[in-house]
Order: sequence, then structure tokens, then C-alpha cells
Amino acid sequence: MATTSLRPCGDFRTTYKADQYLLQTKWIGIWTFIAIGVLLLGPLVLDGYIISLLILIGIYGIAALGLNILVGMTGQISLGHAAFFGFGAFSSAWLNSTTGIPAILTIPLAGFMTTAIGMIFGIPAARIKGLYLAIATLASQFILQDFFARADWFSGGSSGSLADTVSLFGFAFDSDERYYYLVLFWTILSLVAVANMKRSRDGRALVAVRDHYLSAEIMGINLTKYRILAFGVSSFFAGLGGALFGHYLGYVSAEGFTILLSIQFLAMIIIGGLGSVMGTMLGAAFIVLLPQVMEALTSGMFAMFPETLATFSSGQAYIKEMSVGAAIILFLIFEPEGLAHRVKLIRQSWKLYPFSY
Amino acid sequence: MRRLLSTAVAVALASGLSPAALADSVFVGHLVDYTGPTGFVGKTYGPGVKDAIDYVNAHGGIDGTMIELEQVDYAYKVPEAIATYKRWTSRNNMVAMQGWGTADTEALITFVAKDKIPVWSASYSGHLTDPTGKNPNTEKPAPYNFFYGPSYSDGCRAMVQWAADDAKEKGIEKPKFLHTGDNHPYPNAPKQACAEYAEELGFEVLPPVVVPMAPGDFKAQCLSIKDSGANYAFIGNLGGSVVSLLASCGTVGTDVTYMANIWGGDYKTIEASNAQNYIFPSASPFWGAEAPGMELVRKIYEEGSSDKSEKPTHHYIRGICSAFYMVEAMKWAKANGGITGENIKQGMYATADWVPEGLEGVCVPSTWTAEDHRGTTIVSVNRGSAVDGKAQIEQIATVELPRRDDWIGY
Repeated sequence: MATTSLRPCGDFRTTYKADQYLLQTKWIGIWTFIAIGVLLLGPLVLDGYIISLLILIGIYGIAALGLNILVGMTGQISLGHAAFFGFGAFSSAWLNSTTGIPAILTIPLAGFMTTAIGMIFGIPAARIKGLYLAIATLASQFILQDFFARADWFSGGSSGSLADTVSLFGFAFDSDERYYYLVLFWTILSLVAVANMKRSRDGRALVAVRDHYLSAEIMGINLTKYRILAFGVSSFFAGLGGALFGHYLGYVSAEGFTILLSIQFLAMIIIGGLGSVMGTMLGAAFIVLLPQVMEALTSGMFAMFPETLATFSSGQAYIKEMSVGAAIILFLIFEPEGLAHRVKLIRQSWKLYPFSY
Repeated sequence: MRRLLSTAVAVALASGLSPAALADSVFVGHLVDYTGPTGFVGKTYGPGVKDAIDYVNAHGGIDGTMIELEQVDYAYKVPEAIATYKRWTSRNNMVAMQGWGTADTEALITFVAKDKIPVWSASYSGHLTDPTGKNPNTEKPAPYNFFYGPSYSDGCRAMVQWAADDAKEKGIEKPKFLHTGDNHPYPNAPKQACAEYAEELGFEVLPPVVVPMAPGDFKAQCLSIKDSGANYAFIGNLGGSVVSLLASCGTVGTDVTYMANIWGGDYKTIEASNAQNYIFPSASPFWGAEAPGMELVRKIYEEGSSDKSEKPTHHYIRGICSAFYMVEAMKWAKANGGITGENIKQGMYATADWVPEGLEGVCVPSTWTAEDHRGTTIVSVNRGSAVDGKAQIEQIATVELPRRDDWIGY
């Protein structure tokens, strides 16, 4: 594991505080603001398809960030993340339609509602670990899914529930271009929040729980508190992402929040890099874009060589699905540390070229 | 973040590989599930739509306009369905869409209404039939959603109506009815509507039995059904789960008449589960039946690119109907101001009790109006049994349900 820092000569730290800055060097700061600027101008130049992909990446990225706090930072496996994501979507729609609180406020409120639910389901986590915890969270997935299907008053049961358009002071986020900014706002806020949490006392406590729970306890870290806290914070982001998803579609149905989506969330953080904030976004982008790229590639192949591939034409769907699976497996073999690590290596080699270290 | 953007741009370039649009053509997107959880029936319905459109293109298109059909297997994943839909609307200028399941159809209700793109789904949820939100139960009006065939609720009501007559014949005083299925929007869609109608007809409605959608050993559920004393059980699931349930109940030996949802009954299910006296609805004749329009269905199949190793199910034929209703509406649109989403929708309302040209006796005469998207309320009731491993299916009744106002969107 290479941990060479990217600092140019002469840029050294003399205090712990300075070592903890979010934006390590002037140039990282400049590039970050350029990137945000580019993202802000996105809708002016990109077409609807790309915008909608970016919205999905943002929404799933926020939810995956939550899972990364739980799995990557605290080391507690969860297979029920999609259910919390769904709970957030339903909560926001329900709050908005029953209490009349504007949707712009119910989105974060849904996050808090999901936090409460997440903490309740997190209680067993205070006592169990590993496989047992995986099964307990799997149960939460099914319990919540069952709840969505039955609780007509909350989720509309099998007919789903309506999520209103979000608006702010009369400005309605009713098109993809507009909604993009809402998602971008929450995405950046979530990224900064989680990055800050990682360098706080509580964030370090979570990492200690992950690395060695016994040592952590001996150091005075309250395991029960931090495990439940991890569940709560993780659920908050799941609920926030879910609420954004619900209002984006305008309609929430229990169909979309199955175990399949939970596994996709796990894939996002594993591919992106466990415990990495930026990696989570990269992983979300990877999972959202991969099927699209594969679709384009397979249909492009079939369009370019129709005669050669005629025998396979009925199998295009299978080829695509297999490629998606293969890409993920290859990733796990060749990039076990995740995309975030690869980005780090690229940046290093850029810095150090032509020398190896 | 910069990388994210460049990846997005890379995708944009990659999708440029898709074949250039044909000269005079309109684009239709087609979502299918071949590799996902509903692939069991997806693999037989999707090719029906595709073969039908290919046939139309090979025989002059829509009065000279070709249909550019792009089929995408979204494997029942909602995000993929949304992303694909967005690509079609922003890049391909889509005018209509052939959809598939409950998951994608419901996720897209708002988008298609906003973009004015009519959709023919293979999800027949009752709540898709209320275009104006007339019924107070309707959560969300679905003005651009169409489907061919009876809704799930009407299909179940027809089963119940048949069961009521059957119980009279058998002399059962107060027949007992129960619903089985996963606790999931699709099996649940007709649950309440059907139970209410069963009570109206004098059934005693028992508590539902939950049967997972994933295939497994369901002897426990079969024992519950047996112990409940039910005379008629409605099966809300589809595919492997139904096969498992029927096989398990065959082993347990329940004396219950099983009635299915339209996706839960076909010759493949009957043969795989060795079912006996299995009652299921349909909205078309079966493969091998004689009807004036079956000539065209056979031609479509022979010229089509679908897998010929097994004979098609009636889902394939419904796929053809779904595609042909869309094509006829497009023809009307072309003659009345051009093929746009809005005009195609109006084309669906142009005639009453209509069958696409050439499919007489195959598709049930249907009527859509701006107030009511229940295309048809006529349901064929069939009985199927496996005899020496081969399914034998006969039509035993045709139920014509009233078009009640309180049933719209429900």
C-alpha cells in the first residue's frame, strides 16, 4: 500500500491541525472550485440524458455515502440499505402530503425520520458482528419492504404514493436541469459533511471500532453508542438520497427498493473504495454508468458487424448483463482497493514522473 | 468530480455508436426483462413486440414511415430503466414506448405524462387505468399509460365470477376464497379489489397466504391453504414461484381450485408444475388455435427473429397485440397531423371497440377513452391440465365484466 503523499517539496506540516485540512494544498483547492464551477455550468451544455445520469449518480452517491460510513468506516456490514433508501422516499412523500410541510424541507426531515428507524434497527448491531449482523440487516430489508407493501396509510401500499414537485420560493424544480441543482447542493453538502465527520473525534472513534473493537473499548470508546450512531448517520444519508429520488420520480413505489438495490449500494462502495468519500461518488458513477456504457458498446458492436454477430443478436441482452458482471469481478480482482486508490496512484505517478518514487 | 464529468462525456461519445436514424422514421423504445427476476415471462412477451414491429417495417412501415425500435434489457432495475428512458427522450426523439413491468412503469408515470409519451406497458395494474384521477382511490392519474388486456383487478374479478358460477354448479353453499402471493405491489395489485368483489358475490374471504416470489418449497403454505378450508385460491405471483407452489400443493394434496393472474398461467407453467385443473385468464387465443388473425400471428412469428426452439405462449401473442395497437394509433396520428406522442394518444381514442387490422379474433375488441383506460373488460377463462407432461388447455368461459365507475383505476 503506497501512501506517498502528494506534497511538493517544502510543503510540510508542523501541527496536527494543519495535517487535517480538507483541501491539502492550494492547487487541490483551486481544482475543487473549478470542478464545482464546471458542474454548476453542466446543464447549460449537456443534454437531458447526461443530466439525468448525473442526477442518479448524485442521489445514489448520497445514499452510498451513508453505507460507506457504516461498512467502510465502522466495519459493520449492512444488506438492508435499499430499504432505508425507500423509507426516506416514502417518508418525504408522506410528510409532504399529510402535514403540508413543503417538499424542500421534508427532504432533510425524511433523513431524520430514517435516522430514527435506522437506529432502532441498529440496536442489535450493538451486540452482534459479522455474518450475524449481515443477517440482521437482511431482516431489516425484508421487514421494511413488507411494511411498505402493507402500510397503506404511509406508503399507499401496492398503489404507491405521490411525491410532489419540490419548489423553493415559487421556483419549481420541475425539470431535470433544475432538479440537478438541488441534487448537486445536497451532494456537495453530504460530501463535505462526511469528510468532516471522518476527521472529527467521533469519526476517529468509528474507525477505531472498525479496526479493533476490543482496543477501542479499552481506550474508552463506548461501542454500543458508536455502533448505533453509525447506523443512525448511515440511515440519514440513505433517507436523504431516497427522498431526493422520490421527488425526482414524482411517484414512489415499493418495487424499486429491493435487495437488488441493497447489493448495488454495496457494489458501489466496494468498487469505489471502502471508507473513502470520493471513492463513494466514483463507485456510484461506475455502477450507474456501467450498464449504459455496456449497452452502447454491445449495440454499437452489433451495428458495426451485423453479419458476424447475427447469430448472437438474440443474446445481446445476455452479453450485456454478463459484461456488467465480468467488469465488476475484474474490478474486484485487479482493483481491490477501489477506484479511489487508483486515482491516488495516478496522481502520484503524475507527480513523480519520470522517477518511481 | 472532474473524472466523473469526463466519464459522462465518454459515455456520451460511446452512445454515438448507435446506428444513425433512418431517413423517414420514428423512434420507439422497448424495455424488456430477459435476464432479471421476471425473465420467465419477459422472454416470451418481449419477442412478440419486437417481431411485430419488425414485420410492420418489412411490410411498408406506417404508410412508409419506418419504426426504429431499440430494445433494452433493463433486468428489472429501476435506475437503468430511468436512465434508458432519459436517453431515448433526449437523444432519440422518442414518440412512444413499449414498457414492461410494474417497477419501470410506475417509476416513469410522471416522466411520460410530462414528456407526453404514450407507453404500452405489460404491467396491468388497475391504477394505471384512471387517466384523469376520477376515482378518489387513485393516487396518481396516468394519462399516458396504456396496456392491452384486462387489468389485474379485472382479471381477478373475472376469476371470482367464474368461481361463483362454478360453486353454484357444485352446490357449495358459502364458498371460501383466498389470495396468495408475495407481499409486493405486483401480486397485491388486485388483492383488495378482488376480495371486495368476492364478498359481493357471496364468498367468504379468508386471510391471504403469503407466498414468496422466489421459487422454493412451499409445502408449509400449501398446508395453510389446505387447513383454511378454501375452495378457491387466487395466485398472484408468476413464473418459477407459481410452478413451485403448484408442485408443492400437488404433493400435499389440496382440494382447492387454483386460479391465476394472467402472467401466472401458460403452457410452460402447467407443464413444469404438472398442474391439474388450473384456471387462468387470457386475452388472446393460444398458439395453434384457429382464428382469422392467427394467420398474421404465424407470419409474424415465422419472419421474426425470436427463439424458435419452443412454441410461443399467449404472452407472445399479447405482445403482438400491444405493438399493433400502438402501430394503428401511429397510422391515425400520421393521417391527423403527424406522428407525435400526443397524436398517437389521440389515435388510441379515435375508434371504439376496435381490433388492429389483420388480427381479428386474436386481439379482443378494445376501447380507450380520455376518461377510461380500461381497454377491455372481457376475460377468457381457461382450464389447463398436464397430461403425460403436455399441457392441455381449453377455454371454459368468457366473462364480460361491467364497466363500473367505482372500478376505474382500482
